[in-house]
Amino acid sequence: MNDRISALMDGEVDEKSAAQLIEALARDAEAIRTWRSYHLIGDAMRGGMLRGVFLSERFTERVAQRLAAEPTVLAPRRMRTESPRLFTLSALAASVAAVAFVGWMAFAPQPQLAPAPMAQVQKAADKPVLVPLPSAANDYLLAHQGFSPRVSLQGMAPYVLTIAEHPSDARKPEASR
Amino acid sequence: MSARAYALALALVSGAAQAQAPETLSWLRKINDATQKLSYSGTFVYQNNSRSETSRITRYVDARGDIEKLEVMDGVPREIVREKDTVRCYLPGARLVKVDRRTERGFPALVPERISALARNYDITLGESRRIAGYDCRAVVLTPKDNLRYGYRLYADTASGMLLRAVTVDANGEQVEQFMFTQLAIGGVTRDMVRTRHASRNWRVEDAEAAPGRLPGWGLSSELPGFHKVVELKRRLSDSRPAAQVVYSDGLAAVSVFIESMDGRPEPVRTGLASMGAIHIYTREVANHVITVVGEAPAASVQRIANAVEYRRPQ
Repeated sequence: MNDRISALMDGEVDEKSAAQLIEALARDAEAIRTWRSYHLIGDAMRGGMLRGVFLSERFTERVAQRLAAEPTVLAPRRMRTESPRLFTLSALAASVAAVAFVGWMAFAPQPQLAPAPMAQVQKAADKPVLVPLPSAANDYLLAHQGFSPRVSLQGMAPYVLTIAEHPSDARKPEASR
Repeated sequence: MSARAYALALALVSGAAQAQAPETLSWLRKINDATQKLSYSGTFVYQNNSRSETSRITRYVDARGDIEKLEVMDGVPREIVREKDTVRCYLPGARLVKVDRRTERGFPALVPERISALARNYDITLGESRRIAGYDCRAVVLTPKDNLRYGYRLYADTASGMLLRAVTVDANGEQVEQFMFTQLAIGGVTRDMVRTRHASRNWRVEDAEAAPGRLPGWGLSSELPGFHKVVELKRRLSDSRPAAQVVYSDGLAAVSVFIESMDGRPEPVRTGLASMGAIHIYTREVANHVITVVGEAPAASVQRIANAVEYRRPQ
């Protein structure tokens, strides 16, 4: 079983066997523990990334999103539209995420991991609300830049921001979901 | 404030300023002179935490004045051409030319007395020597005396004084943004090289129509230490919205306060902070007006100025 879990994690199992294996995992507490510890080992080996605040944040956020989505998956109306196997899979995905999250929490008290999330929370408390750039950001900047004394040291270079294409422009359709 | 009153205020400020080593101040003057007098063309990279962009800059100087052109190399080929006090932004995507004119006075130049005045808010020292884009450079380091402004590391060519790299750093010494030339040629620029490449005759023109003026009743309940009012204007922003603009500066960094009426505004005001490298923008609503504060200063400074904006019905 352990070899098969390892193969599943490495993406070396075909779709059909993977589905069977995941169902088997769901029924087997011991196998789930193996799955979790393999992931923790993997994460620990990629320690630099796990310690990164950015990844931790995204990870927590993703898990939170999954958990938030969970009641919708369980709602009867959705059950009718989805095959029972798909339901099992998505429920399992959420529980795996939850288990992984618990695993991550268990890891958190270790000295190298603890400071990052704590610091984030504390900083967030006295920070102002973050909003996207105003739609007229470039106009404000163009109007502002001419009065910035740094132009006399840097020439027109700081003006590059006044004609910037903002990533927020490109993300608009996605944000309206 | 008139230009003379402004010069006087600065002279007083510089009198109170602590003396800096003459050598460091002469380095700042040298950078300032090079920026005003040299013809050059080069490629630079702008970089902050979330973006990195390559642009080309060309500056042409002759007896009649100077023309400067900035072209963005990535994405839509946007351009800015400045001739004397007029800045034109060519935006081919929108077939739009935005025009911004300085009416009150020329582009801010760091005249000698203002350079000495910088010492009031910054410790100015000479830093490391480093080779950048083939030029032997020396760093001039401006360390702020408080956390209301950013620090700067300016790397200038030891021979010409041309600024090759400018790094903005926060209170922890972390880089907030930087501009760095990757290639630079001093001299050898012709008039043709600073013309726009866009045939913009049929493009829409948005003129800011900036003119000195003030909105009665508006002001700051308290100014940010070291920042003084530099200019007050009435102008237009995109889609012709009238706005008032008040600029505060500490001699190196500047913060603009924009005041616009809420009437006819299509979108609701989102109170809060947005940022782009060293630039922070704080938006809030006061007395049925949108207040937008924009500046190359730490978020807390921009927010403080925004929160100090108040309206008192004129008597």
